Amino acid sequence: MIWENIKIAITSMVHNKLRTLLSLLGIIIGVGSVVAILNLGQSVSESINESMQIGGIDMVNIFPTGSARELNVFDEQFGDTLMRNVEGIESVLPAASSSTRIRSGQEILSVTIGGVTSNFFDVNSAELLYGEYFSANDNINRRQVVVLGKDVADELFPVGNAVGSYVSIFRQSSRRYLVVGVLDEKDATLGTSFNNSVFIPLNTYDQRFRRVSTLSSYTCKVADGYNPTAVADEVEAYLNEIVGSDYFTVFSAASLVDMANQVTSTFSSFLAAIAAISLLVGGIGIMNIMLVSVAERTREIGIRKALGASPRVIMMQFLIEALTLTIIGGVIGILFGSLLSYAVVNVVGWQLYFSWSAIVISLGFSAFVGIFFGWYPAAKASKLDPIEALSYE
Amino acid sequence: MDNVIELVNVRRYYLVGDFCVKALDGVSVNIRRGSFTAIMGPSGSGKSTMMNLIGCLDTPTSGFIRIDGEYTNNLSEKELASLRNRKVGFVFQQFNLLGKQNALENVMTPLLYAGVKGHERRERAEALLERVGLKDRMKHLPSELSGGQKQRVAIARALVNNPSILLADEPTGALDSRTGEQIMELFQDLNDEGRTVVFVTHDRGLGMRCREQVYIHDGKIVEGYER
Repeated sequence: MIWENIKIAITSMVHNKLRTLLSLLGIIIGVGSVVAILNLGQSVSESINESMQIGGIDMVNIFPTGSARELNVFDEQFGDTLMRNVEGIESVLPAASSSTRIRSGQEILSVTIGGVTSNFFDVNSAELLYGEYFSANDNINRRQVVVLGKDVADELFPVGNAVGSYVSIFRQSSRRYLVVGVLDEKDATLGTSFNNSVFIPLNTYDQRFRRVSTLSSYTCKVADGYNPTAVADEVEAYLNEIVGSDYFTVFSAASLVDMANQVTSTFSSFLAAIAAISLLVGGIGIMNIMLVSVAERTREIGIRKALGASPRVIMMQFLIEALTLTIIGGVIGILFGSLLSYAVVNVVGWQLYFSWSAIVISLGFSAFVGIFFGWYPAAKASKLDPIEALSYE
Repeated sequence: MDNVIELVNVRRYYLVGDFCVKALDGVSVNIRRGSFTAIMGPSGSGKSTMMNLIGCLDTPTSGFIRIDGEYTNNLSEKELASLRNRKVGFVFQQFNLLGKQNALENVMTPLLYAGVKGHERRERAEALLERVGLKDRMKHLPSELSGGQKQRVAIARALVNNPSILLADEPTGALDSRTGEQIMELFQDLNDEGRTVVFVTHDRGLGMRCREQVYIHDGKIVEGYER
C-alpha cells in the first residue's frame, strides 16, 4: 500500500513538474542552507584543529606571573614536582627567556633569548635547517653555544651558512657564542616565537647570561592517551592549591581549540536555526500545494472512497504524498547545500568536512515538515463526503 | 427467499436551509440474489438517494437497510468503506476511472483496499479485463480508451472483488446507442452468470429490458411488478 501511494505521489509530481519544483523550492533552500552552514562550521573547526595539531596541541604551558619569584616554587626542580603530582605529563621543559641584542659583524638585532634544555627542540618539533641542536652536555657544561631562529639567521648572515660562526650576545657586557644550528621556519606556538628567537642552554643562561631564580615558562608535554584539556585543568587545580591563582597562568592549545570549537559550533547552530526558519516557510508551501492537490483531486477521492478506501487510507495516501514531496526536496536540498559548501570551501581554501549529523537532521526535519504540514490537507481529504466528492466537477 | 438487498421503511431526509427535503419517504423493497432489477424514476424522484443508500455511500435517516445480511445503520465511515469494498461494485455514467492509472491499475485498486497481495491482485484483474474483452488494452490509460472500453474497465473494476451487488448508475448514459447496447448485453451476460445487477435509470426503454422494475416517484415506490 505504501509503495502504491509513493507511486501515486510521484506520478502526480511528474504530471505537475513546474508546480512541484516551485513548491519544493522552500524546502530545498531551507535544507540546502542548513546543510551548507553546518558543513562549513564543521570545516572551520576541523581546520582550526589541524593548524593547532602542528602547533603543539599536546602541550600545556605554565607561565609564572606577578611576584612569583618570592615563592621559590618555580625553580628548575618544579618540573619533577609537577610530574609527581599530576598524572599524564610525559616531560616538562623549563625555560627562561628575556630580550636582548645580538650582533654579528655590523648587524645588531633585538631578539628574544631563551634558555632551554636540549630536548626543547625535539618536544616542540622545531626542525633544523643547518647544523645541530646543542646537546645535554652543552647544557651541563654551560657552553656558550646558540641555536638561531630562521629570521635571525637570515638577518645576521644574509649569505652563507651561519653554523660555525660566532655571534655576540649582550647582557652587561657582550659574550661570544658559537652558532651550532639554525632552525627551519616554524609558526609561533603558544608562548614561543621561533623565527625571531635565539636559544642557548638553560644552564648557560643561568650562569653566564642572567641569574635565574624563577623560570619564565614550563612546557609540559602531555603523554599519549591523556586529554590535554583535562591535564591542563589538573595542572591548574594543583597550582591553585600550592601557590594560589595569582601567581601563574596555565595555557593549553587544546583548551583554546575547545573554546574556538565551541564558538564555531554555537555560531553555526545559530545560523542553522535561522536557516531552519526557511524550512518552516517551505512547509507552508507544501501545505498550500497539498491543499490545491486535494481540491483538484476531489473526484478521485470520491472514486477511491466508493471503491472501499477508508478515511484512514485516504489520509495515509496524502500524508505519504506530502512526505514523499518533502523528502525529495530534502535530498535535493542536501545535494545543493553540499555543493554550495564545497564551492565555498574551495574558494576559501579549507578542507571540506561533511557534517553527517546535519544531513540526518535535515532529512528528519523535512520529513517532520511533510507530516506536520501535510496533516491538515490529508485530514481534509479523508473527511470528504463520498457522494459530494463523486459529483464534484 | 434469498434477498441480497432489503430496505425496510427507509427514509432519507435532507435539511436544505429551513426546508426538509424528503428524498426517500418510507421505502420498503427487497431485491433477490441473482436478479436483474431496474430502479426507475424521473430525475429528482429519489432514485439517486436510493442508489447511494444501497451502495453504502450514505445511511438512512430512519428505517433499516440490509446488504447481503449486514445492516448499514450506525456503521462508522471505516466500516461503510469496508462494506462497499466487499459487497458493492459501482459502475457510473461517467465511468469514474482514475485518470493517471492504466486499465490494469484501475481494476486492481479495490483489491488494494481489500488488502489482497500484489501478484494475486494482478492475476484477478487481468482475468477480469480478459473477461470484458480488453486483454490487449491493459496498459492503456483511460484517456487512450474509447467510451465503451472505459465502461468495460469500470465493469471489470466493479467485479474484481467479487461483490454481492453490481450497482450501475445510468451506465449507458454517456455512450452512443450501439456501444450502449453492447454494455447492456454485457450486463445481461453477467446476470446470466448469476450476478445480482441493480440498474438505476430514468430511461424507460432500458429499464423495461431488466427482469424486474422498481418505480420511484417523489420518494415513494409507486408500483413494482415482475414481468
